[in-house]
Amino acid sequence: MKGKLERSERQRLIEEGKNLKEGLAALEEDLVELTDKLQQEAQSIPNMTHPDVPIGGEDCSVLRRMVGSPREFSFPVKDHLQLGKGLDLFDFDAAAEVSGSKFYYLKNEAVMLEMALINWTLSEVTKRGYTPLTTPEIVRSSVIEKCGFQPRGANTQVYSIEGSDQCLIGTAEIPVGGIHMDSILASSTLPLKYVAYSHCFRTEAGAAGTATRGLYRVHQFSKVEMFILCRPEDSDTYHEELIGIEEDLFSSLGLHFRTLDMASGDLGAPAYRKFDVEAWMPGLERYGEISSASNCTDYQSRRLGIRFRPSSEISTGPKKGKTNIPTQFVHTLNATACAVPRMVICLLENFQKEDGSVIIPEPLIPFMGGLDLIRPKSK
Amino acid sequence: MGLPCGFGASTLQTLKLVAIPSSFSMLRPCISKTLSLHSYHHFQRSSLPFLSRALSATALQSTSIANEDEKVVKPQWRAAIDFKWIRDNKDSVAANIKNRNSNADLELVLELYERLSNLQKEVERLRGERNVVANKMKGKLERSERQRLIEEGKNLKEGLAALEEDLVELTDKLQQEAQSIPNMTHPDVPIGGEDCSVLRRMVGSPREFSFPVKDHLQLGKGLDLFDFDAAAEVSGSKFYYLKNEAVMLEMALINWTLSEVTKRGYTPLTTPEIVRSSVIEKCGFQPRGANTQVYSIEGSDQCLIGTAEIPVGGIHMDSILASSTLPLKYVAYSHCFRTEAGAAGTATRGLYRVHQFSKVEMFILCRPEDSDTYHEELIGIEEDLFSSLGLHFRTLDMASGDLGAPAYRKFDVEAWMPGLERYGEISSASNCTDYQSRRLGIRFRPSSEISTGPKKGKTNIPTQFVHTLNATACAVPRMVICLLENFQKEDGSVIIPEPLIPFMGGLDLIRPKSK
Repeated sequence: MKGKLERSERQRLIEEGKNLKEGLAALEEDLVELTDKLQQEAQSIPNMTHPDVPIGGEDCSVLRRMVGSPREFSFPVKDHLQLGKGLDLFDFDAAAEVSGSKFYYLKNEAVMLEMALINWTLSEVTKRGYTPLTTPEIVRSSVIEKCGFQPRGANTQVYSIEGSDQCLIGTAEIPVGGIHMDSILASSTLPLKYVAYSHCFRTEAGAAGTATRGLYRVHQFSKVEMFILCRPEDSDTYHEELIGIEEDLFSSLGLHFRTLDMASGDLGAPAYRKFDVEAWMPGLERYGEISSASNCTDYQSRRLGIRFRPSSEISTGPKKGKTNIPTQFVHTLNATACAVPRMVICLLENFQKEDGSVIIPEPLIPFMGGLDLIRPKSK
Repeated sequence: MGLPCGFGASTLQTLKLVAIPSSFSMLRPCISKTLSLHSYHHFQRSSLPFLSRALSATALQSTSIANEDEKVVKPQWRAAIDFKWIRDNKDSVAANIKNRNSNADLELVLELYERLSNLQKEVERLRGERNVVANKMKGKLERSERQRLIEEGKNLKEGLAALEEDLVELTDKLQQEAQSIPNMTHPDVPIGGEDCSVLRRMVGSPREFSFPVKDHLQLGKGLDLFDFDAAAEVSGSKFYYLKNEAVMLEMALINWTLSEVTKRGYTPLTTPEIVRSSVIEKCGFQPRGANTQVYSIEGSDQCLIGTAEIPVGGIHMDSILASSTLPLKYVAYSHCFRTEAGAAGTATRGLYRVHQFSKVEMFILCRPEDSDTYHEELIGIEEDLFSSLGLHFRTLDMASGDLGAPAYRKFDVEAWMPGLERYGEISSASNCTDYQSRRLGIRFRPSSEISTGPKKGKTNIPTQFVHTLNATACAVPRMVICLLENFQKEDGSVIIPEPLIPFMGGLDLIRPKSK
């Protein structure tokens, strides 16, 4: 229409242009709708799976490692609730009145034990080059979704805040994952390794009837979490590093535990591979999960928008490899360094003496102000 | 180790809750993120316990009875108000309401109480008549007489039912009005607004700097201690991540404070941070008012705590304690969550006003005659703690207009914050006398003077309400501001006060990171 035209020709073109414009508008609307629908469906496709992961349900998980063996007791074993009662360490009854079931107060040496576990764990992991953090415990629900959880599904594990798009975190993995949302990291900064202490809140909806006794399944607890962002080719290595740190920590405390390579049917959508550690809990007479280490590859980073720019091989000054090489998505990994209530169960039940007192494992003694034994209180 | 509410003495004296071995060192340089500097807003005081917003308290319950059209919701709980005492002391109660700028309607309360008393008498009278009729019906009667009595009995029963309904409604209304009457006030409390608060004590003086002073945000940036920007994206404004030595500092403050207060005979606790909203109301706060400080959980009657005072106050709800167990002294560590609604425009910079923070709180339940003494003990502990850290601060006896509804008397501590160039509140110690215990239902049975065995003084002596007190031992973000700003060096490094060094794994200086 830019050229010189006869009037009738111009008129015809205007008509044609108008038709095209309307047709286009309709199609563009369809495009948006289709894109939304495609996204919704595609986002529910789970992450791919490491080739070594056993295929099948929970019972197909494979034993990677066994450390120690169940302690033999020469006296009747008490569970953590009985021990706690004799040592005046917990109050579940008052918490049930004040807050509801599966809440608790820690008292006396249990408070010291919680602080000792957190402080020792932070210290040990920081020594290994991880940056310590504390995090917000209220986050926008979109961040939770980007990490691969479903805040508003039925039977959700997530508490929502009334009148807002905010929720309580169930793990520090979420706020730490969010730190570098929508960012392009320089390759030289990778890997980024964080160790984060936070309180965690879980509704435990749908967990009624399962092992809910005492500290085993609670709505609120303290946890120290490790989180790594790295280059794709390094994530398997860091997965091994994370499980290695966990096994070191639990060994130093003298726990008997087993590490499992979780079967495909037991992985969450984000996990490419997941190692769970289950420790022996003599009072419960079984193994109980005390930690989990997942390699989420690029599942979370594609949702959180965390990229990095690989550096070029030739270093040519300040602009090395800046504009030519396209960005890639980082890989993210997360692992529990210490979930306090489960650790408290392990320590109380494994290190109990016949009179109901509990021995403090050596690494924790300096963090307990020198206390090496929790004794029953006289009433 | 025989104390029922604490550790054995030998352990207490040598207790260092966290001795992080000195091998714990910060080796890894970290990426710094640019901190955005918000413009400075004029400081406006707000007390740490947000009791001042409860001053114009009405409708502490979920009921609204006034309007016929509205559904009458049964109150979940009732405070044990001493109406007779209010009536007999109405002049002082009225003066107190005025001094506290409260909206409580004393006239209405007295009127409702009068009506209630009369109605109760009427109900008693009718019950008496009904009993007389019932008794008459037991004897031998002529048919017409029996018929007449049956009729009379029926009328009395209906009349009684109607009156008893009115009685319940009137009681609910009276409770609602009476529960908004604030606590009485200690005679030494200055009358008036905020500016009438009286200086009790001044400790230290503002440090003189030979170089330009940085505020905590600038110091934090140089030392890579905070991230407010990432938190704004992930959670919203007034949230933050602590990093590196700031994490150590938070842990050191908590551990040291717990250790110090436990040594003094307080039982350490950690508490639920989600509680039923009724417990929050019973402590004197208003979870669901406009501009509430309280976060509510969707789809439930639960809320997040703004202070450990609430879950600790709830431990002995609806209980009768043996007098011999008093005083009960607790020191509780928890995270606290506050909406800070209505605080926009006030000093919101950096760590000064945030939605989530760690706090160590002291709480005492005691006999009424002892609460003044324990109030002094609590402020004494606070002043000891802050002095040992080398802070310069002042303690204020808060004026009547600045007390929250529950507080009989309140001492605030304000520390000098050189970066902010003013004093900022770092703690608050309140004596709530029986305000909270009447709502939480916490009583004790005074022991008789003669000890006659296990049942001494058990059934004869009526129960009384305990007195409750609460005081901030350590509010971490405010303390971090104080430590960073007061102990900064010219190169931007920060000296760790001596008591905290063992709790920092031997670290005595936070140094800027090389980039």
